[in-house]
Amino acid sequence: MSHEAEAGLPPGILGHHFSSLARQNEAARLGMWLFLATEILLFAGLFTGYAVYRFQFPEAFAECSRHLELTLGTVNTVVLITSSLTVALAIHFARTNRPRAAAACLVITILFALAFLGIKAVEYTAHFHEKSLPGKYYAFEEVKIPGAAMFFSLYFLMTGLHALHVIAGMIVLGFNCWHTLHGRYSSRYYTGLELGGMYWHLVDMVWIFLYPLLYLI
Amino acid sequence: MSESGHPTRELHPEDHHEENGHSAIPYLVVWILLLFFTVLTYLTGKQHLGTWALPIALAIACTKSALVAVIFMHLKDSSGSTRLVFGTSLVFVALLLFFTVADVATRFRPSTPAGAPFGTERSQPEGLLEHELPE
Repeated sequence: MSHEAEAGLPPGILGHHFSSLARQNEAARLGMWLFLATEILLFAGLFTGYAVYRFQFPEAFAECSRHLELTLGTVNTVVLITSSLTVALAIHFARTNRPRAAAACLVITILFALAFLGIKAVEYTAHFHEKSLPGKYYAFEEVKIPGAAMFFSLYFLMTGLHALHVIAGMIVLGFNCWHTLHGRYSSRYYTGLELGGMYWHLVDMVWIFLYPLLYLI
Repeated sequence: MSESGHPTRELHPEDHHEENGHSAIPYLVVWILLLFFTVLTYLTGKQHLGTWALPIALAIACTKSALVAVIFMHLKDSSGSTRLVFGTSLVFVALLLFFTVADVATRFRPSTPAGAPFGTERSQPEGLLEHELPE
């Protein structure tokens, strides 16, 4: 407790088993990158499944892709890219000792995330109406060739898992925002906020690949 | 390390690092670049460039991801160990994709799903299962 007070840190940040905050920060970043590596490999499994079936059903994938709402997908790409910027700015404001600006950026990020999910919900609703659904629920009138149901299985799995990550990211950023407003992050310590931001950037990175692979075949 | 017994510990010099000189301009530059590449992938994707469509789309997506990882995720300021973790994960993604696609690309007809119109005739041995070949 006393070493935290001496460093001007709020209590509960520097673990007693770390000899310095710099070492704790380095360990935290390394741990976060290890976790993100497992996330990358989790999505890589789905991308590999996508590669296999796109290789086997190129016409069906191209045809189904053209029935997705390209405009909504593009808008969502811009939304997520901009939300990545606002997270990066939140960390920038925290480390330059402007916690209110940082919290505002985090709130904007969460609003972007909600907008993303709202647009995705509009797309999902359309799929349910036209029955472009996975597996045996597929009954889309406009594309009736082998492999079309597989495209929509992968589409729902990939965008669905991504949407779960968006929701998880919103929760993480919500905690980050609360902590920022309560003075936890400053130029002395902002690692917790940085790690939350890294998670959000990973969510953005996954979408950067999903967008051309699903919407622009 | 003889820290036991000391109520206060030596603080690392970096613990007192002040960051008021930190600039947000790289983030804005990266954001503009990401928007530019999004427009680029949109325009090239809509052309349906055939064979080149997928390599172009993936090259743009990889460039965008690299910008996010290096600038937004601070990989450029990270230690070697964190870079190694990220790099290793990419190597394993490449291994997974390469060997799986190589496997699928070299299969013959009975091992591909029904109705698959591609990758079958090419590797079809002469005279085998001719009644199953598409018109």
